Amino acid sequence: MTVENMSAPRPAPGAKRPGRRRDRQRFWQELGMIGPAVVLMAVFLIAPFLLSFWTAMTNQPLVPRPTPVRFVGLLNFQRIFSDPLFWTSLWNVTRFTIWVIPVQCGLAFLTALLLHQKLPMRNLLRGMFFLPAITSMVVVCVIWGTLFQYPSGPLNQIVGFLSGGTIQPIDWLGDPNWAMFSIVLLSAWQAYGFQMIIYLAGLQGIPDELYDAARIDGAGPLRRFWHVTMPGLRPTHVFVLVITTIQAFKLYTQVAILTQGGPRESTETVVHYMVRSGFAEQKLGYASAVSVILFVIVLVIALLQRQLLRRFDV
Amino acid sequence: MSDLALSTTAPAAIGSGKRGLRIVQFVSIFVIALVMISPLFMLLIASLKDDRFQILADMGSFRAFWVSDPTLSNYREVANFSGELAYGRYLINSLIILVMTVGTGLVVNSMAGFVLAWGTLRGKAVLLAIVVALYVIPQESIIMPLVVMMSRAGLTDTFAVQILPWVASPLYTFLFYQFFAQLPKELYEAAEMDGASTFRIYRSIFMPLSLPALATVSILMGIESWNQYLWPTLVTQTDYARPISVAIATFFGQDSIFWDRAMAASVLMMIPVLILYLAFQRWFVSSFVGSAVKG
Repeated sequence: MTVENMSAPRPAPGAKRPGRRRDRQRFWQELGMIGPAVVLMAVFLIAPFLLSFWTAMTNQPLVPRPTPVRFVGLLNFQRIFSDPLFWTSLWNVTRFTIWVIPVQCGLAFLTALLLHQKLPMRNLLRGMFFLPAITSMVVVCVIWGTLFQYPSGPLNQIVGFLSGGTIQPIDWLGDPNWAMFSIVLLSAWQAYGFQMIIYLAGLQGIPDELYDAARIDGAGPLRRFWHVTMPGLRPTHVFVLVITTIQAFKLYTQVAILTQGGPRESTETVVHYMVRSGFAEQKLGYASAVSVILFVIVLVIALLQRQLLRRFDV
Repeated sequence: MSDLALSTTAPAAIGSGKRGLRIVQFVSIFVIALVMISPLFMLLIASLKDDRFQILADMGSFRAFWVSDPTLSNYREVANFSGELAYGRYLINSLIILVMTVGTGLVVNSMAGFVLAWGTLRGKAVLLAIVVALYVIPQESIIMPLVVMMSRAGLTDTFAVQILPWVASPLYTFLFYQFFAQLPKELYEAAEMDGASTFRIYRSIFMPLSLPALATVSILMGIESWNQYLWPTLVTQTDYARPISVAIATFFGQDSIFWDRAMAASVLMMIPVLILYLAFQRWFVSSFVGSAVKG
């Protein structure tokens, strides 16, 4: 959605001009109404945002020291890019993204398809599917912390049962090979409801006439799905993909609570790396440089979304 | 409704066959839904069990879904207002933060959205473009300098530091703008002809019509505020203004996790959201769709 296509309504000039006093009064009132938002955004959003670019180029520590803060140019970025842990964290969130997209979006798409039909108690079912999405991540961690218990937690019981005991219990959060996958599972479960709702809205947006026309042409359910539903959902797919990707790159809470980036850095993420260098290691300048990198990543994804959406002209 | 419509239009024989199929369909979807929410159900059941070792032992079997002698002792243990397990207090802290953030946020963002939609200020279009652009900035990439700004301002460990930064928001201002902009301009013009001031038009004419927008923004802001985690961990040190999310996470810092208490505290944290959700289910869904049309 761009600025161009949200044409602002223009209040037509009233039939009679109420005069300059009225204009002045209106000016001050409008200023007074938009003022709080402008000031708050300037102080709490724009200022720290600009400040992060400046801080990123200094050696500022978290707690002020007697030695003056020095301008160090791009040194922080240089250090970040030569820190293997940074690359590990970037690779980890990429890995997370690649895994979470099919699991989370697939779950969302499937449940949306299930719900998008004439069903009794549809609202109740939708509510049940949506419930995890409004559950706080901290609570999700408490729940899944028990599900992941090693060696005899519920998930291991299920795996053991399904495999007839051939698969040994998995140390979900303690095994570097499994930890990120476990984080993927719980994250997908927590968030799929949100994408499900978006898919449901997308499905409702496909006109019934298209299905009727396809039916008259003799298309079965499968062909109707491939030739009507899927093309109709293309913009929805793009949108869901992008928000899931952005969300995935900001992965933090569940990792901070359950694994602290471990075991053996297998769940270290960019945001966790940033918080760690800023607070545990007190290197504010360095952490700000990481936050600038994070912003650039998010910006690139958002711009890609615009390009993609434009290609599908929506 | 749809049930009736189908059985009256279709011939009886086909109708009953279809009906059987639809019952199977409904039951299978219902079972899938039950599986998906079963972890939440386990949470509730476990919070009613007394022994934290028993909770873990039960987890691996169907006893996870059954409690033979439910007790509220875990809740009694955590729902204090002082001391080590002051989860009652943390819950109230979170509620205060939520009410203040949403309350001021509704006023600030709706006023700004109104001026962006109907105001006559010069440079309005530029402001709107800036608001849209600001939306791209993720919270995570501004918190480093923001923490320092806040601690210099002496706001560490206050309620204000958890409220003020998130009151004005590009997304919510934009949602209000979008809503106001699609209302008919005759509304504005007629009121203006009658000599109503801008603020009066906003308050007496547009606000009463914007229940959907108010509901959407309240729900989104409320959920966001309720679930804040990273920010409060950085700006709270004592339990004075600590929200419940941060307090629950501290269970994980211990050598041996008190799952019984953690689960009771988690249920406490879910109750307000659940009440809101049940009361405003219709709005919830549409508001999440509404927030999706941003971008």
